[in-house]
Amino acid sequence: MELVDKIIKGERASIAKAITLVESSKDADQQISRQLISELIKKPGESIRVGFSGPPGVGKSTFIESFGSYLVSQNYKLGILAIDPSSQITGGSILGDKTRMVEISKNPNTFIRSTPSRGSLGGISMGTREASIILDAAGYDFIFIETVGVGQSEIVASNLVDIFTLIVGPGSGDELQGIKKGITEYADIFIVNKNDGELKIEASKTAADYKSALSYYKKLDELEKQVLLVSAIEQTGMENVIKTINQIIDQNKLKGIFDERRADQLEYWIEEEVKNIIASDITKRLTSKGNIPKYSEKVMKNEMSMYEAVERITKDTLKQ
Amino acid sequence: MTNKSNNGFNTWQKSFEKETKKNFSDAKSETDEGIDIKPVYTKDDLENFSFVQNNSLPGQWPYTRGPKASMYTNRPWTIRQYAGFSTAEESNEFYKKNLESGQKGLSVAFDLPTHRGYDSDDDLVMGDVGKAGVAIDTVEDMKILFNNIPLDQMSVSMTMNGAVLPILASFIVAGEEQGVDRSLLSGTIQNDILKEFMVRNTYIYPPEPSMKIVADIIEFTSKEMPKFNSISISGYHMQEAGADNVLELAYTLADGMEYVRAAMSKGLDVDDFAPRLSFFFAIGTDFFMEIAKLRAARTLWAKIMKDFGAKNERSLILRTHCQTSGVSLTEKDPYNNIIRTSYEAMSAILGGTQSLHTNSFDEAIALPTDESARIARNTQLILQNETGVTKTVDPLAGSYFIENLTEELSKKAWDIIKEIEELGGMTKAVKAGIPKLKIEESATKKQAKVDSGSRVVVGVNKYKNPKEPSVDVRVIDNNRVRDDQIKKIQVIKESRDTKAVEKALTNLTNAAKDETNLLIPCIEAIKLRATVGEVSKALEQVYGRHFAKSLSVSGVYGKHFEGDKEFMKVENKIREFENVNGRRPRVLVVKMGQDGHDRGAKIVATSFADMGFDVDMGPLFQSPKDVAKDAIENDVHAIGVSTLAAGHKTLVPELMRGLKEIDPNSKIIVFVGGIIPEQDYEFLYKNNVSAIFGPGSNIIESAEKVIDLISDNLSKE
Ligand code: B12
Ligand SMILES: Nc1nc2c(ncn2[C@@H]2O[C@H](COP(=O)(O)OP(=O)(O)OP(=O)(O)O)[C@@H](O)[C@H]2O)c(=O)[nH]1
Ligand SMILES: [Mg+2]
Repeated sequence: MELVDKIIKGERASIAKAITLVESSKDADQQISRQLISELIKKPGESIRVGFSGPPGVGKSTFIESFGSYLVSQNYKLGILAIDPSSQITGGSILGDKTRMVEISKNPNTFIRSTPSRGSLGGISMGTREASIILDAAGYDFIFIETVGVGQSEIVASNLVDIFTLIVGPGSGDELQGIKKGITEYADIFIVNKNDGELKIEASKTAADYKSALSYYKKLDELEKQVLLVSAIEQTGMENVIKTINQIIDQNKLKGIFDERRADQLEYWIEEEVKNIIASDITKRLTSKGNIPKYSEKVMKNEMSMYEAVERITKDTLKQ
Repeated sequence: MTNKSNNGFNTWQKSFEKETKKNFSDAKSETDEGIDIKPVYTKDDLENFSFVQNNSLPGQWPYTRGPKASMYTNRPWTIRQYAGFSTAEESNEFYKKNLESGQKGLSVAFDLPTHRGYDSDDDLVMGDVGKAGVAIDTVEDMKILFNNIPLDQMSVSMTMNGAVLPILASFIVAGEEQGVDRSLLSGTIQNDILKEFMVRNTYIYPPEPSMKIVADIIEFTSKEMPKFNSISISGYHMQEAGADNVLELAYTLADGMEYVRAAMSKGLDVDDFAPRLSFFFAIGTDFFMEIAKLRAARTLWAKIMKDFGAKNERSLILRTHCQTSGVSLTEKDPYNNIIRTSYEAMSAILGGTQSLHTNSFDEAIALPTDESARIARNTQLILQNETGVTKTVDPLAGSYFIENLTEELSKKAWDIIKEIEELGGMTKAVKAGIPKLKIEESATKKQAKVDSGSRVVVGVNKYKNPKEPSVDVRVIDNNRVRDDQIKKIQVIKESRDTKAVEKALTNLTNAAKDETNLLIPCIEAIKLRATVGEVSKALEQVYGRHFAKSLSVSGVYGKHFEGDKEFMKVENKIREFENVNGRRPRVLVVKMGQDGHDRGAKIVATSFADMGFDVDMGPLFQSPKDVAKDAIENDVHAIGVSTLAAGHKTLVPELMRGLKEIDPNSKIIVFVGGIIPEQDYEFLYKNNVSAIFGPGSNIIESAEKVIDLISDNLSKE
């Protein structure tokens, strides 16, 4: 494929068009996109994929601007996929993330793509995984994925990346009850942002709260989870972040965790894909047969119980 | 016995209901401010006031009726026209002509590079030099600007906020070199940074150091320039950006309170500086509301200053400049603007302004020509000399309606002021972005009203002129201006004492690290012929440059059009587009260069998103190259360039080149919206611009055209 070569050469417009293809809801585009991804997978780059998640407004984009500036100043190439949460139910989206990434967006060593999440599960849009494969093949050293952390999204997002970072704000320690076991398993690094000005004391306190909560949940064989204090606005704490990321990557590579994780993630995505295909197939069958209205009427008329109806529809649908 | 229980009123009400076939209680009309205007007001409406005092007198507490006892009966308001363009030489000629023709005070409009602290030779400002104001790079330019204008006799107002330090310093040094001591200089420096972050967008440094600079200037002028107004606390730009009158009033006074606190934190006594605080309001088309606003502003400020502990009566009194509304003026059928401006001017006078700018009828086309500026000035001369409005002080006092409206506005504004105070004051509110968002919401509502026709704008959405007149346009050759300025900078840089300049700049940088009053080292640097850009950069080293994060309203426009056929037609086209193309049409809306007019861009972006477009919103001050990169990486279908400060002939071709540079086969199409004089259409089309949307464009119609053009373009593949 011509597109493959162009992507590998790092041609900006081709990378962009390829991402459009993988995000497209059109069947024809999806076909091409599968071909494309299959080709690209054979020529992997060496990107490290880092996820940044956190509640709306904690400063994810500002942090990426600040941390990203630091990385590009060290001559790293940086790809950024910002999943913009600002999608509406009926209308389109206003994608405003770039207004917070002004400096890095000018740099020739960055590629920044915003995508409307369309309210899809976990705030991850269709195609994010594929987009990161494209950027990897195109030779970006780091791929950042910005997602809003709500509900289940962390699980989905963490399955896209080698390192998953949760960004929180000062004072969020109150929500610690909310960060149950789950999240500590998924996140590798906790970043407490806005460690500046009047917020400094609160930020340190929050970091301490996180540290103690995390040690409580720590498994025996696990690395200590890192809690880092930064200020995206004042650009402080950035060296610490890159140091920590590198440490974790090195350690994970050494222990084989790095590849193991990627393998697990592949399993996860295969399972998701299969589930998706089955689900959409089943949905099609269900609607074409029109069994549901038929049985529902019977239930209404007290001719059978709901459970009986469910059982029959299920059997009937799976039979084919 | 009150009026309403009285027979007379009952009879009136019956007649009213018979004539209108409406219940009296339903016969109200709601203003943008959310005030219900009744069809009639009576004596009863003068009761239960908490702000307005019936029977008060002009020049007396609470100053509702005017800052002075005699007002225009003694001396009419000052005709002060805001102007500036091209080089200092040309602006100076223009000023002198105007003064000969009856103008009384000067008001300088600087170009955008100067506003933002860049010299004319900076690559970042290529398209903006001399375009939307006069370019000032050094004190030599400032001296030329006031050549043969004696600064001890002429009061000079300067709209400068971002680069306020080097510009005020240049003014002071220019005066000194003219032989005028700084203590004799009279006039006003705008120096109101908070509203820059909200709506005007010519900030340079982040909010905190910017507030420190404001306080430095208040301190310096209060000690050394007794005839000079240290600040002009401005609501004008808020209304022009879309704020209703309550928002304008509340935010302006809340800004004022913040500045008072900033000055007091320098150890000044409130009475040391408060008499030299001045204000600036917009006067829009809502005739009575605008009159009431000025009366309410004075009433509230007196109360506010009393609460600050002011003892000097002059500290309690709000003095203001006013400007008629530019945004109420239209590109279509432009002579209508003369009429609009006349009514607005009348409002300002009945409200008791101290000075006034009246806009030219070519406001929505370009900077005024000599001819249009003459008509604008004459509007005031006629008011002063022919109408008799100067003969009576506050002639509308006692009007049931006006007094009631003054009270209503005061109440509503006071509620907002209290809210902001509870939040911790305007600096905090501005940093959180709340006022800006509220203003944008209000602007979007206004646009929806005009686009839906529920608000009539003569010549735009009704009573259109079938034969649009063609008008003369002031054309500025910015390449020539830029070349001239660059030459002047070179000459100065060669002849000055470089070592001394460097030392002065280092001193300035160091001063920024502690609490020194920065105007003093600035004056030193400017005297030695440091440039405005150099001084700004010396401070930037310590403070950094501020980038605004931009929030967006959503759903405000769409809500107005629920069930609207035209709106739904566009929505359907977009849905169809998505089915065919696998994604929604995606448009990048951008501002390039130093143009900070973001009202239109923001409204278009939010409305397009409400119709179903995916809209990428670029930050302010992008270079064409950055826009091209952004557009290509996000694989947008189209770029919508919003341009109002006349940079389009430089910036749009640059953008086209930028796109081709990254992707020679780029199929991204480009639209242009904003202030584009008729004469430039052909140039833009030749540069492959797909469509142009001028002032007054209906957004739904524009959106339909955009989606059609995108679809056409895709089908060509
Ligand atoms: C409002 C206004 C301001 C406000 C701006 C507030 C804000 N945040 O936007 C304030 C008061 C702050 C301001 C300041 C200045 N202004 Co001013 N301003 C105006 C004014 C009166 C109206 C502009 C406006 O907002 N209209 C309402 C919006 C909704 O309309 P619009 O932007 O035109 O957009 C519509 C269409 O054009 C189109 N459209 C626009 N963009 C796009 C994009 C797409 C994709 C599409 C499809 C459509 C589209 O659709 C929109 C809806 O109809 C104009 C004159 C006028 N009447 O137009 C002068 C005007 C633009 N300003 C002017 C100047 C000079 C200035 C200053 C530089 C003055 C100075 N020297 O200090 C300053 C500095 C501002 C800065 N930072 O850049 C000049 C520019 C001169 C020129 N082009 O030759 C003008 C033309 C006035 C004049 N004749 O002198 N200004
Ligand atoms: N004080 C302080 N404020 C910050 C910092 N980082 C970000 N902010 C502010 O927090 C707000 C949100 O920043 P964003 O970067 O847009 O946050 P986000 O998490 O990307 O937001 P969404 O993408 O909308 O979820 C802005 O007002 C920033 O200025 C910081 O380090 N310190
Ligand atoms: Mg963000």
